[in-house]
Amino acid sequence: MNIFRLVYRSVLFYWRTNVGVVLAAAVSTAILAGALVVGDSVRYTLVSSAEARLGKVELAVVGQDRFFRAALASDVGTNLGAEAAAVLEIRGLISNSDGSRRANNINVLGVDEQFYKVGGAENPLSVAADEKVVLNSALAEKLGVGAGEEVVLRIARPSAMPREIVLTPKTDMSIAFRLEVGAVADESAFGNFSLQANQISALNAFVGLGWLGDKIGQGGRANLLLAGADGGDKLTVEAANKAIGECWQLADSGLELRRLGASGGLELRSRRVFIEDVPAQAATGAGDGAIGVLTYFVNELRLGDKSTPYSMVSAIGKGAGGIIGADMRNDEIVINKWLADDLEAGAGDTIELRYFVVGPMRKLVEEKRAFRVRQVVAIEGMAADVNLMPEFPGLSQVANCRDWEPGIPIDLDKIRAKDEAYWDKYRGTPKAFVSLEAGQSMWQNRYGGLTAVRYRAESDAEGMANKILSAVNPASVGLFFEPVRSQSVKAGDEGTDFGQLFLGFSFFLIVAAVVLMGLLFVFGVESRTQQMGMLRAVGFSPRVVRCVLLLEGGVLAVVGAVTGTGAGLLYTRAMIYGLGTVWRVAVSGSEIVFHVRGSTLIVGMGAAVVISMIAIWLSVRRRFRWSVNELLAGHSEWQFFGLGAYGVPGQAGKRAEGRGGLLLAVVCFAGAVGLLVVMALSTSKAVAGYFFGAGALLLVGGLGLSQAVLTLVGAGMRRPADSVAGLSMRNATRRRGRSVTVVWLLACGVFLVIAVGANRHNPLAEADRRESGTGGFAFYAESAIPILHDLNSGEGRERLGFDSQKLGDVDFVQMKVHTGDDASCFNLNRAQRPRLLGVEPQHLKKRGAFLFAKTIEGGNIEDGWGLLERKWGEGVIAAVGDSATIIWALGKSVGDSIVYTDKNGRSFEVLLVGMLNNSILQGSLVVAESDFVERFADEGYRVFLIDAAEKERAEVSEELSRGLRDFGLEVTSARERLAAFSAVENTYLSIFQMLGGLGMILGSIGLGLVVLRNVLDRRGELSMLRAVGFERASLKRMVFYEHSGLMVAGLAIGTVAALVAVGPVLASPGAQIPYLSLALTVTAILVSGLGWIWLAATFALKGDLLDGLRDE
Amino acid sequence: MMLEVTNVRKDYGLPGGGSVTVLKDIELKVEKGESLSIVGPSGSGKSTLLNIIGGLDTPTSGRVVLDGVDLGGLDESALARVRNKRIGFVFQLHHLLPQCTVLENVLLPTIAGKSGESKEQAESRAVELLERVGLKGFSLHRPGELSGGQRQRVAVVRALINRPGLLLADEPTGSLDRDSSENIAELLVELNRSEDVTLIVVTHSSKLAGKMGRFLQLEGGTLRDGTGAV
Repeated sequence: MNIFRLVYRSVLFYWRTNVGVVLAAAVSTAILAGALVVGDSVRYTLVSSAEARLGKVELAVVGQDRFFRAALASDVGTNLGAEAAAVLEIRGLISNSDGSRRANNINVLGVDEQFYKVGGAENPLSVAADEKVVLNSALAEKLGVGAGEEVVLRIARPSAMPREIVLTPKTDMSIAFRLEVGAVADESAFGNFSLQANQISALNAFVGLGWLGDKIGQGGRANLLLAGADGGDKLTVEAANKAIGECWQLADSGLELRRLGASGGLELRSRRVFIEDVPAQAATGAGDGAIGVLTYFVNELRLGDKSTPYSMVSAIGKGAGGIIGADMRNDEIVINKWLADDLEAGAGDTIELRYFVVGPMRKLVEEKRAFRVRQVVAIEGMAADVNLMPEFPGLSQVANCRDWEPGIPIDLDKIRAKDEAYWDKYRGTPKAFVSLEAGQSMWQNRYGGLTAVRYRAESDAEGMANKILSAVNPASVGLFFEPVRSQSVKAGDEGTDFGQLFLGFSFFLIVAAVVLMGLLFVFGVESRTQQMGMLRAVGFSPRVVRCVLLLEGGVLAVVGAVTGTGAGLLYTRAMIYGLGTVWRVAVSGSEIVFHVRGSTLIVGMGAAVVISMIAIWLSVRRRFRWSVNELLAGHSEWQFFGLGAYGVPGQAGKRAEGRGGLLLAVVCFAGAVGLLVVMALSTSKAVAGYFFGAGALLLVGGLGLSQAVLTLVGAGMRRPADSVAGLSMRNATRRRGRSVTVVWLLACGVFLVIAVGANRHNPLAEADRRESGTGGFAFYAESAIPILHDLNSGEGRERLGFDSQKLGDVDFVQMKVHTGDDASCFNLNRAQRPRLLGVEPQHLKKRGAFLFAKTIEGGNIEDGWGLLERKWGEGVIAAVGDSATIIWALGKSVGDSIVYTDKNGRSFEVLLVGMLNNSILQGSLVVAESDFVERFADEGYRVFLIDAAEKERAEVSEELSRGLRDFGLEVTSARERLAAFSAVENTYLSIFQMLGGLGMILGSIGLGLVVLRNVLDRRGELSMLRAVGFERASLKRMVFYEHSGLMVAGLAIGTVAALVAVGPVLASPGAQIPYLSLALTVTAILVSGLGWIWLAATFALKGDLLDGLRDE
Repeated sequence: MMLEVTNVRKDYGLPGGGSVTVLKDIELKVEKGESLSIVGPSGSGKSTLLNIIGGLDTPTSGRVVLDGVDLGGLDESALARVRNKRIGFVFQLHHLLPQCTVLENVLLPTIAGKSGESKEQAESRAVELLERVGLKGFSLHRPGELSGGQRQRVAVVRALINRPGLLLADEPTGSLDRDSSENIAELLVELNRSEDVTLIVVTHSSKLAGKMGRFLQLEGGTLRDGTGAV
């Protein structure tokens, strides 16, 4: 015989009671482990979707608007010993052949066989075919098309020169093709390829790399380089970037060294016209007489009343070919003979240059500067060098001036015959020359300050190229790898933890099961009180007796945990089914794949055992304090978790206890009223806090009152109970601890279920107000292809072909977009680098749009948007985000920062300076446009917040969708967008309400157990009542009234307190209180509780009650 | 002197205030191997006195010295050791564990503290004792399969398993029929002699009390012998 044998014997002998304990432990384990496995499944789904999105891709160079040689991929792949693929990734839009179904904002991917090798998939088109497009399943489904059908694909046409530069011609922003769908690519055919960490499938259209390159004027080039490795061969960013450094060529940064025909000199120029600063610096510092050149198109050269229109002027480094002498001042100009003749100018005259620069919103601003003529030179030597004019698109290749399309307004009437003649003879040969410093002070832009660098004729092209390459870090021209796979996996791993979420949702279920288990265990132990006394009497120390009981409990908890783990998987299945159907919104419609990890089950099981053991410990701990005699005498003053442990005070003690409860009730009720009065008088916005405080005080006060009523009524009962109901009341007052515990548990549970369930809101109620989540805007629109123009200007609207009447007073806030992760509640992944929106903060500030919930320390919450304009230090820019984005999607708070990499490979911090209340800006971070354009590719605006009067909205929406159809503009009502975000939150609340309600219903079984215990305790008393003539049905009614009264009291206190606590929500115009479902939940709890009370009373009162008398 | 009870008083507080005195200045000396009975009307405090002697209860004042050890100076675990090694209890209700066999019930005290005997020795003593009380063939039975008298005999054996010097029996025949009561009384007397165990029996039964070497009466909180004050 030993302790373990004793435990073993006890566990088996009391199996009937123990089965109940095991079942309750199993239920709590099932819910706990099941909830954790939901987390596993969601995480697995996210990681699997990352695998499907990336295939074997580990690293990527994301060029966006920078195009490099497609051959760089094979060079880098060979260098690394890995698979690498060049891809052209362009934004586009697509529709089915009749235009009835369309998809905006799709990814058009130019790929070749290598893409599928990196993806580890088969090319769905066995033969590469031009004029055919492969759609991924999501896109095909959206369009409702299949293989063999036709679609119209419109893609953004990249410009050789950044479109934000004044001289970039206004060629069409996009081109369209009618293509046949060659195949539909599912996940196995790498159809879901995307670098964005999002479980929602991207909309992809795949075309041939060569075909796409030719169509967009980027033949042989790519803007995305993917590198992948098999299995364990991990590519490192360092190794891959080193490979780029060893393989890259000038052409990969759009640069070209060419030998000039006439002079035989060597010239470096850029396909993007302007040479970026880093390579420009390297090129001018490479020796061999390097000299910088900046040639610009000026509107006019004027001397007095004479002027020459539209001419090239070159700014050249000093000492080059004698044109710009070493002593030339920055306010001096050298003009050629033709210009001198045209203006009748000579040395010493002052000539005025007029030229366009770009202002905010790409507005052209004409500026002017005066120069003194230093010298007139003949058109010969360098002054006759037509190559000084860079390859301005729309200028350099045209035959005559009237065909110019330089991106600025040209007044053709100003072009004279002599200008045409000059063009015919000298083309774009500059007519005037200024110092490089002077030129750069006028025309330098963020894309560069040189259009060429020239070297001596004897310079060796290859040697010079190597010199430049070795002096430039490829990252500075956008050639750097990013660890896209590890970022994606991290995003999935750190994504929304549905395990914790469902643990929270299932809180009441777990608590209810644990409470049940504790009750059942206490029940079992209670019947063995005398055993404990005997063990103590024969010499067992209290510690050993405690160990014996806890060991028994432990065995039951472990058996329950093992059993429950299996059931937990069913619970997970049920939750996943819910997430796939009624709660679909919570996971943005994603299909969650059931997945279980052994470690999770072990953790779930372990946690359940620990919780069970704590519950058992709490249930029986007081029992160990009883004396041996009390135990031997079968002491059974019922108590649970230390609650309801009351002695048997005399009348005086009862009154004191009752007065205490009454005092507590009075203080709490007064406090609640006080809070509501203070709230009414206060101007504070923290109304919700006051109400919740008042509700909580009412809850505590109600419980105090219930105790007072039970105690004082009990103590004051002098008149004999003259009815069954009277007897019930008296009984309820007798075991006050037990009764108050019942009321307490029910009230708290209902309080929480209602308070949380009612806390949902309809954000649309005040959606027209500026401080609402819509910012007062009527529409949120997003285009696939950037819009360069100012939609608020007449000119901008005219250029886009709008009917100015229809747009009337419509007002736009335009935003630039830097692609990034969707940091909204639709994305279950943890956004690593959210999408950035660049906006002019003043546009939002002057409207007072959106409401700031919080700003960074030292920031004025009334001027949240102003924080975007502040300087926050070197390498730091400010950002504002929606609260859901910052807190949930990013897991950050105001004051934190996120590291981004700019277009030149430099890291910088985005500091979160302000947080908006729930808004339509959820998903992105908003930064100042000025900060944006310094760091990112700048191709116009893609996000629009639109103000429109209520009555014009339908017409405006129609006009915008029509006018910007080719830009893939998707206009969404701001209200709808906000409602969609809120729907996710409200779904979470629904889940909580439902599972919380189920928990309460489960908990009501506990009430049945309490009834059972009560009746068995009073068996002798009930037997006596039977003996003196009470019918069994009367006794059952008495027990039923007694306990149902307690239940109704608990539900009433909890409900009233909860309704006060959520008062502001109820009163708010946006309140979306699910009255019906809340009422159903409370009713279900009530019905279930009453049912269990009835059942327990029936069970306890069956059999021969007179036996109880004999026991006595 | 095996047991010395000096000036023991026991008061109980009343719910409405005040107190009631159950035992007043109890004096009792018991020699080793002696047997004595304490009788008295219900509520006279017999069981309370027995519980105080056995370390299951504490006196309001006074001392209980067992084998030279003052029980009032012992903490909870030391008291548990004293009960386990030096005292055996027999209750009116046998308090056998229904989940354990007869043998296991008997052996229970041996797992509460080390007795210095091996497991085999303890088992062999248990079997021997069971044989002596006529229950050898029942060692693997459950209490539920025994009669009331048999159960009480098992309880007696359990009380003796650790060779205590003092056996305290609280109404050991109170819930038994006449024959069984007779048997238990004989058994206790026999064990008192054969095991050289000091026996104190609290009982209503004059028949059982008469079998003891000394006869004490508790009345009005005071202990007297059959003919006068002790």
